[in-house]
Amino acid sequence: MIAEEPRIDATKVTELAQALEAELARLIVGQKELVRDTVIALIAGGHVLLEGVPGLGKTVLVRSLGQVLSMSFARVQFTPDLMPADIVGTNVIGETDGRREFRYQAGPLFANLVLADEINRATPKTQSALLEAMQERTVTVGTQTRSLPSPFFVLATQNPIELEGTYPLPEAQLDRFFFKILVPFPSEHDLLEIARRTTGESTPQLEPVADGGAVLAAQRIAREVPIAEHVLAYAARVIAATHPDRSELDSVRRYVRWGASPRGMQTLVLAGKVRALLEGRYNVAFDDLNAVARPALRHRIFLQFEAEADGITTDRLISELLEHTVKEPARD
Amino acid sequence: MNSLETILRQLRRAAARARAASYAVHGLVAAGAWIAAVLVIDRLVPFERRAEVAAIGVPVAAALVVLAWSLRRPSAPLLMALADIRLGLKERLSTAWERRAEAGPMDGALRQDALRHAAGASLVRAFPVRVNRGEASLVAVLTIFALGLALLPNPMDRVLAQRQADRASQARAAKVVTDAQKKVAASDKPNPQVEKILQDTQAKIREAASPRKALESITPAEQQLQRLTDPGTPALNSSAQNLANALSGTAAGRGAAQAISSSPAKGAQAVRDLASQLQTLSPKDREELAKALAKASQQAQNAPMRDSLSKAASSLQSGDTSAAAQSLNDVASQLDSLQAQQNTDQAVASAINGLEAARQELAAQADRDAKGQAANGTAGASASASASAIASGNGNGNGTGNGTGNGTGNGNGNGNGNGNGNGTGTGGGSTGGTGGTGSQGSGTGSGSGASSTERVYVPGQPVPGQSENDPTPLGPGQDVPLSPFSQVIQAYQQAALDATDQSLIPGSERDLVRQYFSQLGEQTQGAR
Repeated sequence: MIAEEPRIDATKVTELAQALEAELARLIVGQKELVRDTVIALIAGGHVLLEGVPGLGKTVLVRSLGQVLSMSFARVQFTPDLMPADIVGTNVIGETDGRREFRYQAGPLFANLVLADEINRATPKTQSALLEAMQERTVTVGTQTRSLPSPFFVLATQNPIELEGTYPLPEAQLDRFFFKILVPFPSEHDLLEIARRTTGESTPQLEPVADGGAVLAAQRIAREVPIAEHVLAYAARVIAATHPDRSELDSVRRYVRWGASPRGMQTLVLAGKVRALLEGRYNVAFDDLNAVARPALRHRIFLQFEAEADGITTDRLISELLEHTVKEPARD
Repeated sequence: MNSLETILRQLRRAAARARAASYAVHGLVAAGAWIAAVLVIDRLVPFERRAEVAAIGVPVAAALVVLAWSLRRPSAPLLMALADIRLGLKERLSTAWERRAEAGPMDGALRQDALRHAAGASLVRAFPVRVNRGEASLVAVLTIFALGLALLPNPMDRVLAQRQADRASQARAAKVVTDAQKKVAASDKPNPQVEKILQDTQAKIREAASPRKALESITPAEQQLQRLTDPGTPALNSSAQNLANALSGTAAGRGAAQAISSSPAKGAQAVRDLASQLQTLSPKDREELAKALAKASQQAQNAPMRDSLSKAASSLQSGDTSAAAQSLNDVASQLDSLQAQQNTDQAVASAINGLEAARQELAAQADRDAKGQAANGTAGASASASASAIASGNGNGNGTGNGTGNGTGNGNGNGNGNGNGNGTGTGGGSTGGTGGTGSQGSGTGSGSGASSTERVYVPGQPVPGQSENDPTPLGPGQDVPLSPFSQVIQAYQQAALDATDQSLIPGSERDLVRQYFSQLGEQTQGAR
């Protein structure tokens, strides 16, 4: 047996996550799963799309996250008249030593933490301006490409009910989001607590608990978490099962138009690794993959119209295929 | 804290125990299925040595199970993965085992974490010794089924018993023939031809498919033996006796007469001695001897003997003793020939006796077989006859019995009818049904058709449904009452076979009678 001490301190990731969750819990009442998923995406280095009806605290969560992390934070309120240049920046004419020249004026994307509020209210043109930033973590204006600060974390929110005057995000852009997290309506107990905390004389002031360096270190550590071959194979089977032409599930074949992309597989595994660390483990378990499957895949599975007519949701399909995907390794 | 290898060993032991229990049940299922299959087949076809064949399934199943158990051992990664899943170890063991040789940043922590959690778990619980309920139920069902089959009467037992009786009878008959062969071989003058015929015959009897077939080999053997005998032997023997009688009245030939009466061989030697003493005889004795030889010559039925005696008598009367001696030597040679012929006849008689004993043994068994089949066939035939009657609208009838009868007939008129026949058996008898196995047949017929016109009538016997006193309808061109053939054939056959058994008639003739009735029986079944 090889007895050795861990060469990196994985507990730091757990401590970071616990610190973030604890600090956010001072302001965010309940919503533990929402906070946990957001922290997982942050440590995994992915972007999050938060979906929920108005007033559930989406924006508060992101703003709070900006407060507990000592990182630059920018908020962009997406509206139909928002232009791409408004977020990526533009070249403006300025005078230097009596000479006029174009000078690049950076947009709000040049921040560690970007809140894209009500992202579906902006036009597709503006939405697509986020594509390069989210994927490549660079911004190109004119002929010049500029790197965004690291870490770079986009948290977008959207409202699922006020659909008039909105522009649903295209599939390509949805796929760029690491997680799509549904913000649930709080319980009655949580509602009472929200009222107590936010209608008093003062509201809690959050303290920074980590900086960009800690987040980047956590991201590196998370990628080192080992995953067994048969667990990885399970993840691949789950992803394959989301495709109607490969799935053995009748419901998937009937209701799914297009299944999850390979990026979905990457998300599943990476999120599983982070969750394993947060659970105090040094390996990815089936439970980790199952726990992150819904936020990781729900925006990557596209349903037929028939599914909508029958009231079938992606979450329900994901639950079904997780239930039916074989975990045991094949006998050799 | 245990090492991963220690954990693997514990898991292997636990898995081996669990798999052994599981495979043992598999083996029981296989053995039970095998035994049940053998017992089912045993009820469909005559199956000798069924107990041995059924029993051999148990060690074979056990061997296969042990082989499969040893070959299909789960691999280490599989054991670890299953233990993770069943003990809720969150894939710690399998991941640690997979990366046991790795030295990544987290592998050490991973191993320690895995060992710590494995130490707190009962590894044996990952592979509990458990018996599949479905399989256990199947074993119980198969056991009950097999026991039921083994305990219930098996219709094939009769067939097997008949086969065994046939074989025993053939063995006894063959032994009788072998004994006859030994007897011939042990005699003073063994006859290789007779021995060969007997040896071939006993082999044929032993190899024959049935006593009836074995019987067919006896008659040709007897005919071969008969060909070995000389038809002139009785005449020669009579001539020799006449010679002895004639010489007994002479002083010189009295000794020769006694020797001839004793045996032809001794007689031949005495006649030779007499021939050599002719010159020393007195004229009176010569004359007396010549007269006796002439008398014997006149009484001799065998031409060569008659000629030799005649020549000897005339030569002696004419005083030519050397010619007379030559003729007497010829007579002596013919006596030697008679002795040889008698030896052959004795061997043939002994052989035929043996063959006849074998024939009786085989015939008795063949009759027993035929009687059993005839009973079965008659029962089947009566069932089918009843069905025919019902189809004609004349009434109802049921027939139950063993065997299969082939009865066909065309009903005449209108009506509905039912016919039931239950039975099991194998036909092939001389008068009964032929072949097949029948069980629970029923039929309903209605409509009209031509009545059966093919019936055999026997003079002096009543037709079905009538007593012997009733006036019997006459057949076309007949002036005496007629009876259906099928009613009387059996009685006729029995009477004829009894008569042949009680009478002193050759075996070949007895076979002829048996074959005649056998052919009649087959024709009758064909007609039905």
